[in-house]
Amino acid sequence: MTKPNTGEIDPQESARQELRSYGIGFVASLLLTVGAFAAALSDLPTVWKIIAICAAALLQIVTHMRNFLHLSFSVEQSREDLLLVLFSAMLLAIMAGGTWYIMSDLGGRMHGNSHEDRSTSLP
Amino acid sequence: MSERNLYPGLNLGSGHGEAHEQAETTVFGFWVFVMSDLIIFGILFASYASYLDPIGLAGGPGPSDLFDIRSVAIQTAFLLLGGVAYGGVSLAVKYDHPRGKIIVWLLVCAALGAGFLFFEIKDFITQAGKGGVPQASGWLSSYWTLVGLHGVHVFSGILWILAMIAQVIWRGVDDVVKVRLSMLGVFWHFLDLVWIAIFSFVFLVPLS
Repeated sequence: MTKPNTGEIDPQESARQELRSYGIGFVASLLLTVGAFAAALSDLPTVWKIIAICAAALLQIVTHMRNFLHLSFSVEQSREDLLLVLFSAMLLAIMAGGTWYIMSDLGGRMHGNSHEDRSTSLP
Repeated sequence: MSERNLYPGLNLGSGHGEAHEQAETTVFGFWVFVMSDLIIFGILFASYASYLDPIGLAGGPGPSDLFDIRSVAIQTAFLLLGGVAYGGVSLAVKYDHPRGKIIVWLLVCAALGAGFLFFEIKDFITQAGKGGVPQASGWLSSYWTLVGLHGVHVFSGILWILAMIAQVIWRGVDDVVKVRLSMLGVFWHFLDLVWIAIFSFVFLVPLS
């Protein structure tokens, strides 16, 4: 499965490359973290703040997966590792998203004050 | 990078022979555990989000009464630096640096993790003093469970780091230790990943 190809890669060179990858990951996640906190403290409308925080979080998670956990879509990556992440993300989307949807819908039905809604839902 | 990655985390590389091949199955198995851990965290995030409304708060103290954004920023800095510092461990192991260097990087990770825990526990104590105890509301129960579980993970990560320092000293950096250090790396970086979601969705979104 692994074929020794030490002839092609200079260890010094790949060490430098990997160090750089950690450096890029660090700078990127630092900027994204500072960005998220700055957005939360800014005077923007709440919706924009939340969108900015979510976008920063998503980008930072991708950065960490790429630069620190060394997972990527490239052919150099063992497929199973990534498939497992994607499968877990799908399970999570179904269970966590479903929980949140059902609970907020239930909250709306039980504590909301629209009478039309209640009468139509009764048999 | 130029070599095929067999498992999550910085790979040892074929230069390490046996250890690199052993790590493929062992680290993958550990990755399966980490992903099931992720499901647990995800479900706790879902209950936190569900309780984040006036009914979930149940008249108890809310996010703006309890959360201290400065302390959250300090904790984030500690954990982020701790995660990056593990890169030092991985690179030192991969490129056969002297044992002392591996131990120093491990100590840096443990110290940064301990700094994180110090501020987190300080926050928990302050919040409990303001009436933000887990039994006050559904929202607070989910908050303590989610953030507390992450804290317990960081604490066990620190214990694991200390155990690995002891093994590096007594056993030396043999194949078994190399594989264990690779697993620890995956675990440590995973805790960073969960923390990104916590500081964004648990702290920053409700404060916006």
